[in-house]
Amino acid sequence: MIQMENHRQGSPDPDRRGSLVSLIAAKPTKSATARPLVTIVDDDESVRESLPDLVRELGFAAQAFSSAGEFLASQCSAETGCLILDIMMPDMSGPELQEELRRRSRHIPIVFITAQTSDALRARMLERGAVECLIKPFSDLALLDALNSALRAN
Amino acid sequence: MKDAGALIVDHPIEKPREQGSPPLEAILCTRALQQRSWRSPDYEKENRALVKLMSALADSPGSILQTLADTILEVTDSDSAGLSLLTKDSKTPHVDGNRFYWPAIAGMWNPHVGGGTPRDFGPCGDVLDHNRTLLFTHWERRYPYLGGATPLAEEGLLVPFYVDGKAVGTIWAIMHSDRRKFDAEDDRVMASLGKFASSAYQALMRIEDLKVQVEEREKAEAEVRQLACGLEAKVRRLVDANVVGIVMFTLEGRIRGANDAFLNLVHYNHEDLISGRVDWKDLTPSEWHDRDERAIRELISTGTFQPFEKEYLRKDGSRVPVLVGGTLFAASDHEGVAFIVDLSEQKKAETKLRQSEAFLAQAQQLAKIGSYSWREATDQITWSEQLYRIYEFESGVPITPQLIRTRVHPDDLTLYDRIVQHARNGGGDFESQYRLMMPDRSIKFMHAVVREKRDRDGQLEYVAAVQDVTARRMSEEALDKARTELAHVARVMSLGSMAAAIAHELNQPLAGIVTNASTCQRMLTAASPNVDGALETVRRTIRDANRASEVIRRLRALFAKRESSIEVMDLNEAVEEVIALSLSSLQRNQVTVRAELADHLPTVKGDRIQLQQVILNLLKNGSDAMRAVDDRPRHLTVRTERDQGNRVRLSARDAGVGFEPSVAGRLFESFYTTKQDGMGIGLSVSKTIIESHHGRLWAELNDGPGATFSFSIPSGQEPCREEV
Repeated sequence: MIQMENHRQGSPDPDRRGSLVSLIAAKPTKSATARPLVTIVDDDESVRESLPDLVRELGFAAQAFSSAGEFLASQCSAETGCLILDIMMPDMSGPELQEELRRRSRHIPIVFITAQTSDALRARMLERGAVECLIKPFSDLALLDALNSALRAN
Repeated sequence: MKDAGALIVDHPIEKPREQGSPPLEAILCTRALQQRSWRSPDYEKENRALVKLMSALADSPGSILQTLADTILEVTDSDSAGLSLLTKDSKTPHVDGNRFYWPAIAGMWNPHVGGGTPRDFGPCGDVLDHNRTLLFTHWERRYPYLGGATPLAEEGLLVPFYVDGKAVGTIWAIMHSDRRKFDAEDDRVMASLGKFASSAYQALMRIEDLKVQVEEREKAEAEVRQLACGLEAKVRRLVDANVVGIVMFTLEGRIRGANDAFLNLVHYNHEDLISGRVDWKDLTPSEWHDRDERAIRELISTGTFQPFEKEYLRKDGSRVPVLVGGTLFAASDHEGVAFIVDLSEQKKAETKLRQSEAFLAQAQQLAKIGSYSWREATDQITWSEQLYRIYEFESGVPITPQLIRTRVHPDDLTLYDRIVQHARNGGGDFESQYRLMMPDRSIKFMHAVVREKRDRDGQLEYVAAVQDVTARRMSEEALDKARTELAHVARVMSLGSMAAAIAHELNQPLAGIVTNASTCQRMLTAASPNVDGALETVRRTIRDANRASEVIRRLRALFAKRESSIEVMDLNEAVEEVIALSLSSLQRNQVTVRAELADHLPTVKGDRIQLQQVILNLLKNGSDAMRAVDDRPRHLTVRTERDQGNRVRLSARDAGVGFEPSVAGRLFESFYTTKQDGMGIGLSVSKTIIESHHGRLWAELNDGPGATFSFSIPSGQEPCREEV
């Protein structure tokens, strides 16, 4: 049996009832529109390995890059509906990529993910305009929440 | 004294001598005295004569005998008069002599003064024998020798006189012609004069005695003076030699006389002495007064005081230690002579000796070193105070080899016995370390340095210094323990500072597990379950779980406090593991790690965990050095290679801030750090670890920016031959 999880992060959504039904209900149908593209940028290989699958199961399209530079160099930035960014990355960090995109006037909603367990950090990220800042390990529901928020906001 | 008028017995005592000579009665006519016509006594004449004699005796006793002879002559109106005294030997005064001699004669016989008659053959002798007056006529008929005494005696009247009841001589009057004949009145007068003669004799004797006494006394005094002179001169030599101070003192305190030696001792001069300023009571400091009192009492009761030590105050107030002894003069009860010896040098030497002894004892106590000497042949053992303390024996207890043995640790007894035997065989100088066990079972560590010597008689003697090194040994052990602790703490702390990074390490596989499991769940609950996809997520999950437990295992190993375990290991492998462990932390600091690990690197023998600790430390160091670097990439290169001398070298090169060449030597000191929040334990512990691997750890500045920290340790095998 699937366990109910009550990992609630971010603003409470009155529609959410923590039930299997709502889970399924939140998934966008395949036929209706093209799935929104969620782009993952993380230098951690295991994240790039596991997260895209989860994101797809949640009903989105997913692709992953190992660095900010790689992402910028690709043409996906135009198509990306939401970014999942690791904060700590060599060369260009998550927040730095955020800055760069703003500079380029590419306003893509961002969900930061990090292993640092700092409330101050999360608050700061939100201040800077992130949709959410998830702390690893995060539950699939929390991720779904954040992605929905991000895409709705768009 | 017999009365001449009494019975006249004319029975002379016959003398056996001179057979041929006429008998005594042939020359005696004493009866005639009574028969001749009576004359009335002339008392006046007699008194006048006696008075004259008395005065003469008083005035000039030396010539009394002559005066007496003159008086006899006058009073008896005779032709010659005189005295005969029996000779006496002054040495045997109670024995009569054998002669009479005539000390004084008046009248015609005056020239015969000094002559005399034999005691036992002569008229005087006869008178003394008969003990009465005798009248002789022509005595030369019996005593032919008197024929030479001219003019011859017609009549001779002899009267004995006595002293203390003993006859000592005669007085006599002689007629050389018929002019007159002696009569009873002459007899009476002569008797009276005889009494006087007795007094005169006694007086003379007394005078003689006195003279002799005076002579003898004078002789004795002269001798004494002579002696004294000689003695004084001899003693004077001592006084004037000024080898010791000599003074004449009074009990009251005065110093009547002193030699230069004394004056120089107390810095007074002759004027002071003469004016009476030198007073031994004033010269004595107050704390010595009781001792002086004791000496005075001794002096009064025995006449001398035995030498004792005291002090005098010099004129300038300084003190001088002295030895004084003295005696009272024979004739005095309050004056005497004393000697004073300057003890300054002795006292100085004594003080120095005492000081150096105290110093030595103190030094021994501070250093916990005791000393002993051991005469091997007699087992005569002398211990210093400190050695008694170390061995915890009561001070002064006689030390024997058996007694010492009771303190030796049971496990070291064999060793100890061997050492003693070695010494008995004259094994020479040696050192030894052994343990003692005290009665309370506590243990002490001893370190003895023993030197062999031969004494004057060639006997074997050992002199040793024994140090209680327990404290040092304990502290060495404690230090070792502390080092291990410190290494552990450093390990923990350096790991602790990487706690976030390590949590991060764990977090990664955990996050992966959660993500994959969530994916799996969704895949399996989809309308058409994605079993293959689910299987893949499960595979990843298992893999990540294993990774996590591997990290924990490593962490546990690193956190565990343990002794070294040496193994043959591949340094490259160790480096790779460490880099893997710290990768995320390094990446967080935007440090790029490059590993240039040599192929076919020889293995090394070492403690894997400890060496990894060092590598971890070097990486962290390099990373920290680049924290402030913005204008160039933060490259950290780890390189392994063969080093000369069959060694293996690892170096970590950073592009950081480097270090001041002047602090190069201090980098590896404990607690040296340039970091604000640094503890500075890392490098010093690393150095200790590398050194315990018989290696070397050092730092060099790069040609470009930054520094390179390297260590080189021996490889655990023969040098590999390069594979062609």
